[in-house]
Amino acid sequence: MRTRTARAFGAVALLMAILLPAAAAPAGAANDKVLRLGVLQSLDSMNPYGTALVVGYEVFELNFQQMVGFGSDLEPVPDFAASFERAADKHSWTFKFRPDMKWSDGQPATSADACFSWQLALDAIAADTNIGLGYLDPALKNAGVTKVECPDATTMIATTDDNSSRILQTYLPIIPKHIWGKYTYETIAEDKLFEPPADGKGLVGSGPYQAVEWKTGEFVRFKKNPNYAVNKGFEDEIIIRFFSSNDTMVQALKAGELDYARTISADQFKALANEPNVTTVNGASNGWTELGFNTYGTGTGKTIKGGGPSTKALQDPAFRDALGYAIDKQKLVDSVIGGYGAIGTTQIAPVLKAWHVEPTQVRTFDIEMAKQKLDAAGYKTDASGARLDKENKPINLRLVMPDSDANFAKDAQFIVDWFGQVGVKVTPKVYDEDTLIDLMLPPEAGDPVKYKADYDMFIWTWSWGPDPSDSLQVFNCDQIGSSSDSLWCNKDYDALYQQQLVAPDDAARLAILTQMQQMWYEQAPYHVLYYDDNLHAYRTDKFAGWKNQPANGTPLFSYSILGETLLTDATAATATPAAPSTAASAATSAQPSAAPTTGSSTSSGMTPILLVVAALVVIVAVGLTLSRRRRGTAEEE
Amino acid sequence: MSPRYLARRLVQAVLTVLFVVLLNFILFRMMPGSPERVLLRNPHLTAATMQAARERWGLDKAKFPVSISFDPPGISLEPENQLFDYVAASFQGDLGYSLQFRGRSVVDVIEERFWPTILLIGLAEIVAIVVGLGLGAYTGWRRGGVADRIGNGLSLIVYSMPYFVIGMPLIIIFAAELHWFPTSGMSTPGQDYASLVDRFVDIGSHLVLPLATISLGLIGGYSILMRSSIIETRAEDYVTTARAKGLSDRRIMTAHAFPNALLPTVTIVAINLGYVVAGAITAEIVFNWPGLGTLTVDALKARDYPLLQGVFLLLSVTVVFANLIADVLYGFLDPRVRT
Repeated sequence: MRTRTARAFGAVALLMAILLPAAAAPAGAANDKVLRLGVLQSLDSMNPYGTALVVGYEVFELNFQQMVGFGSDLEPVPDFAASFERAADKHSWTFKFRPDMKWSDGQPATSADACFSWQLALDAIAADTNIGLGYLDPALKNAGVTKVECPDATTMIATTDDNSSRILQTYLPIIPKHIWGKYTYETIAEDKLFEPPADGKGLVGSGPYQAVEWKTGEFVRFKKNPNYAVNKGFEDEIIIRFFSSNDTMVQALKAGELDYARTISADQFKALANEPNVTTVNGASNGWTELGFNTYGTGTGKTIKGGGPSTKALQDPAFRDALGYAIDKQKLVDSVIGGYGAIGTTQIAPVLKAWHVEPTQVRTFDIEMAKQKLDAAGYKTDASGARLDKENKPINLRLVMPDSDANFAKDAQFIVDWFGQVGVKVTPKVYDEDTLIDLMLPPEAGDPVKYKADYDMFIWTWSWGPDPSDSLQVFNCDQIGSSSDSLWCNKDYDALYQQQLVAPDDAARLAILTQMQQMWYEQAPYHVLYYDDNLHAYRTDKFAGWKNQPANGTPLFSYSILGETLLTDATAATATPAAPSTAASAATSAQPSAAPTTGSSTSSGMTPILLVVAALVVIVAVGLTLSRRRRGTAEEE
Repeated sequence: MSPRYLARRLVQAVLTVLFVVLLNFILFRMMPGSPERVLLRNPHLTAATMQAARERWGLDKAKFPVSISFDPPGISLEPENQLFDYVAASFQGDLGYSLQFRGRSVVDVIEERFWPTILLIGLAEIVAIVVGLGLGAYTGWRRGGVADRIGNGLSLIVYSMPYFVIGMPLIIIFAAELHWFPTSGMSTPGQDYASLVDRFVDIGSHLVLPLATISLGLIGGYSILMRSSIIETRAEDYVTTARAKGLSDRRIMTAHAFPNALLPTVTIVAINLGYVVAGAITAEIVFNWPGLGTLTVDALKARDYPLLQGVFLLLSVTVVFANLIADVLYGFLDPRVRT
């Protein structure tokens, strides 16, 4: 027995002796030119039309260009099109392409590719359907594009029926016609298309990097496109790794296995502030966390048998408005999200500074004011202090939230207390996302038996694209049964939504958006609790040139892949102190410096040698033990 | 061992698997939520797109052969239904296509994740069986001694610790601080290996921390089990007889007590081996190990019915056949159960 055990230990020791020296060098510390990014998502599809994840967008944007890109301040910049110009009548745009442009496989990239890519979306729109999951083609619909023509190899003319410049914000990849030309809008979204070919040459595109390998649940790998002409990043390869645990991802960043970590918790963010060679950045996000109300019946008068809101008070804007005074949003920002965010007001986040307009009178936390407003609106209290609705029933609101973010439950604790102070009882309940979606969908979703919108309030979150139309649209009457979760309906709001889509110019659109934001804030189908920041972190010892997009955003995983193409060699530049962490400046814009630092803080050159010595000692010791045991056993038997 | 005993066990195993095939279908469809949820949160989707997606994923058909409605009350037969499609395809070895990993066959997706789990959990089980049973036998034989107090105490501690609590400190110390091993993953992404040895070393270095974590967790359980078993065996008459014959203490333990004490542990070990395929979900998440554990969690989140069915079928088959092996093995070890 002892002999066998000793042999087992010997085998383990031998294994360790082999592994340790090889493993001793940190994986990410080699002087390579591979940019390693970590995300808490697992890529669902390489097909641009089949992904529903942020990481999926990052993947196809690295591989394929869009017609027009986003600059550092989100301004339109040349991408597949070298230039773009609007006609004097405002109803057509001319895109010009470089005559010498090539795909990554060396084939010429021309207007035919651009026309093919956009026509796919136009065909789907004409058939009143979508391509794949339907996230990409609506960009052309929202931009009012009705026709594209390519009179020569370097020109494309797009005709539009609106006056906006949304045509410059289309997340629609330009794909090579010589590869995908035989596909239609119905077949191009087929599963398994766009996966990296087995020959290792990469998925043909004109973007800065081509996907060469995808291992589901592990990583996707890109190689630099030699034919990409716009910006060339320093890195030869990009690897995006998929993580299941936030903690593990942060440890990988600290160990130098990652150069960038997307979406970290507030606690980790603070802890990383003192980590050498790591910069943290809290970027303003184009999204929010909201307390929403089930207003089903508002504007339509409908009811749901066996479901719907528990009291008609929820359909009353005065009731919802009054409750808004019983929410201390600053307290939530400070206590729940660690100060990394700003208090919420309207349905257009302040990061879209051209369109966000603060309401004329912002509600402040004032419990007495909330009580007065509830009294004035006809919601009296009974002898026990419980608030009664107009049917004289005590108001008991069911507050639901998904388990996807632990902060929701923290928000709920505060809200239960504050609403309790005005006599409104709140019962919070957490669900998994799928269950909650089923619970919240109304009969209009298609199954009146299954979907009953059986809740009163909810806490959830949204994030949006660069144009405010998306965040406005979700409150339209026609979204009930689809994306609307407040189930709010207001015909005047809907009319304004349509008007802003065809506003003659930006000033006119802003005037309409101002009206919509004011109306929405007063009607209060939501109380936006806060605009929570995106918390990211990156290393500065290998790559320099990190630049936020926009200035108060994050370097990567922002509106485009510009950040990946701006990086430089940190070790080649003059060593200057790294920019201080932005962690201390919560809710303000982060300005990480491009200034590089050199060297690694933790690796030791002695470690491998010490390990080899230690392993040898173990082997010798085990060998001696084995021989002694053998002798002992022989003597005994 | 009689052929009748073997045949009876085999038939039982096959019937169990058949039951599991049916249960898999019903269980996941009883869960709230549906794969279409990905679509329903997109404000731009047209009705035609949603219908097309349902058709493509086979979700447009009725779930069961019989539909019961309560409002108005009624029962209707559904000749075209998802259950029949699923059972027919399953018997042909076709587990369908994953909804989450669009268009990849369930068999392909599972195969990719199967071997990493077998490697990690299989090795961890081997280490844990050898060390855990050895430790349990040693401490049990020296009951009340210093080794017993320390060994048993440590076993109880690691047995009660979740993998996350064992694994994260190992990552922080040995990966993030000392840089001895990588933090996570099964291999260095994008690494081009010059030789098989390089590849072995790379995978081996990634394996050390998760292997240590899972082994530690398992060792506690096996050690406690073996210790109590050996304590019981120690009081048996044949042990006393062996002592009377003048055999050395070590020889009594290794030749007489240990093999007999091993008997009750066989079932537990065999059943545990069945769970090798299920993986240690939390350990795989902590170490970002691309195995079946993390795959199961992802599939559950996405309500990827075909993938869930495939994974659970595999798990069930493994557990059922591990039990079968335990029964057969027990038959060999203990003649009393051979009939």
